[in-house]
Amino acid sequence: MKLLRRYWLTALAILVSGVVFLIPFAFIIMMAFKDRKQAALLDFSWPQGLHLWDNVVEVVTTRNWMLLTAFINSSILTVASVTLLVVFAAMVGFVLQRRKAKWNGLVEFLILAGLMIPPAIVPTIWLLQGLGLFGKLHGLVLVEIAYGLPFSILLYRAFIATIPRDLDEAAIIDGARPFDVFFRVILPLLWPVTVTNIVVQSVAVFNDFTNPLYYLPGNQNATVQLTLYNFQSQFNSSYNLLFTNIALITIPPLIVFLFFNRQIVAGMTAGAVKG
Amino acid sequence: MAGLELKALHKTYGQVPVIKGVDLSVSHGEFVVFVGPSGCGKSTLLRMIAGLEDITSGELWIGDRLCNAVEPRDRGIAMVFQSYALYPHMTVYDNVGFGLKLARTDKAERDRKIRDAARILQMEHLLDRKPSQLSGGQRQRVAIGRAIVRQPEVFLFDEPLSNLDAALRVDMRMELAKLHQDLGSTMIYVTHDQVEAMTLADKIVVLNGGVVQQVGAPIDLYQRPANLFVAGFIGSPKMNFAEVSVQSINGGMVTVASKDISAVTVAADTKSLKVGDRLTLGVRPHHLSMDASGTLVGGVSLVERLGNETNVSLRLPSGATWLVVLDGDHNLRPAQALQLAIDAEKVVLFDAAGQSLLAAM
Ligand SMILES: Nc1ncnc2c1ncn2[C@@H]1O[C@H](COP(=O)(O)OP(=O)(O)O)[C@@H](O)[C@H]1O
Ligand SMILES: [Mg+2]
Repeated sequence: MKLLRRYWLTALAILVSGVVFLIPFAFIIMMAFKDRKQAALLDFSWPQGLHLWDNVVEVVTTRNWMLLTAFINSSILTVASVTLLVVFAAMVGFVLQRRKAKWNGLVEFLILAGLMIPPAIVPTIWLLQGLGLFGKLHGLVLVEIAYGLPFSILLYRAFIATIPRDLDEAAIIDGARPFDVFFRVILPLLWPVTVTNIVVQSVAVFNDFTNPLYYLPGNQNATVQLTLYNFQSQFNSSYNLLFTNIALITIPPLIVFLFFNRQIVAGMTAGAVKG
Repeated sequence: MAGLELKALHKTYGQVPVIKGVDLSVSHGEFVVFVGPSGCGKSTLLRMIAGLEDITSGELWIGDRLCNAVEPRDRGIAMVFQSYALYPHMTVYDNVGFGLKLARTDKAERDRKIRDAARILQMEHLLDRKPSQLSGGQRQRVAIGRAIVRQPEVFLFDEPLSNLDAALRVDMRMELAKLHQDLGSTMIYVTHDQVEAMTLADKIVVLNGGVVQQVGAPIDLYQRPANLFVAGFIGSPKMNFAEVSVQSINGGMVTVASKDISAVTVAADTKSLKVGDRLTLGVRPHHLSMDASGTLVGGVSLVERLGNETNVSLRLPSGATWLVVLDGDHNLRPAQALQLAIDAEKVVLFDAAGQSLLAAM
């Protein structure tokens, strides 16, 4: 009784988070095991018979192996966007923090604007078409970088402020050119924030649904999130396949999270407290 | 072979002048110390020499090269920072070798140089550690090692010892002096600690408010300060000062007196003096002695007995407080009256503008 009185709030919190986070997940997994008929009921029931393998095979081979193309596209998109995002954001944060110039105010305003002003789709498409990048994967890479940059810059700049300037100067005296200072001294020290950026941004880019929908039309260009439409239509939805698909495309972000889990919080709070 | 020549160096931040025209010449192998109170521009001047700050106007010559626009890496300098500024993600070995790596020195050569530097500084056993695993003194060694491997013509130090505790500071000071002897390079050393300046320097440059007050050997600055600022800054404990007026002038000798001092006759540059001029008299605490026929009387307010000497804080009739250092141990009581003689040969007089009136030697 005493135990219950002391820990009831904790128990409640665990229970609530279990319901909120685990039940949908369990639902996805169970649906992925069902056959089409049982899945159509959309209820929370134990699967009758194991149909996972059939479902997986069907999902993967649908529309001429579209999921595979989508995985490749999404991987290229994610790796390219996040790599460039990390390098550019760290560079901008570095210059912004270190070199006080009169246009710093303007740059900071643009960064905040990038965070606050909602993206305008049609003008962006015009611009991409003008540049010949509309419907191209590298065009979408640029779009993802542009959308992710402000947040990443803010993370980096706060952290760079805690790296003493003496370090830059010692490197300069040692004969480092600006790129050496950045890549050999500053960037390695930014690792905690870089991890945070990699995780946050790669999950965001990988899970992005709207931007690929707008800027990357065409079956050959599908990204993983768009494959969900294969099994969902107004009159005829194969829920077992839909949820199998969901389960499959959730795996990569999950791996990233498990892998970097510990270091994320360090990067989020680094720079907040000097120590 | 590299001396330094600074010609009318100026530095302004926005509208604020920080270095206001510094002329200085340093010959090869000299140990020069910039000393001055905090904020007087010592670091700024050093950083201008290093190339970390732009030179607003004036010329900087290192060796026989005009270096105003030369990149820091090409100036033949190395610098040791107050914060050590070691690269936290590299081992000591990589910290020391970073400059060589950037210069694309080949691997065997690099290894030899790093180990040489480590041997000179007795830190061979630290090479595999990260900076966070080192004590303050060890970090300082690594920072110096990083400077040594560059084999610079000129070493620049910006208050390198001020983060160390007192005992370690004394040790490192001696090591630096020894390093200078061994390497024979030119060294420029910034400090606000005048004891470091006195003990290390071949030549001291006293700065105040971005202006050079005096340049000279430590003992010259101590004995023949050029102005009130230098007199007050160099020497510990500080020199005592008193307002006096000229009583009489006799050839190269001038007799001065004040409310506190009955009369003292001092050798001075008397050319521009006349009877009645108001001057400032300066005398060091060590140059006062107990004497029943002395010219100075005051009341003891505080006594520190150190055994070999006695520090006395003396309250003069005018209300001023002087410090006296008496040889040997004296059992003095507070409020006791003390009569002192001033060693007239060691007295320095300053005119109304604060410039000293030392007789030519
Ligand atoms: N980046 C800067 N911008 C404006 N003023 C500066 C800057 N750096 C130094 N100063 C000013 O220049 C003066 C000299 O500084 P510094 O050379 O660091 O003094 P110190 O003799 O203590 O080393 C100080 O008054 C300081 O406020
Ligand atoms: Mg300083």
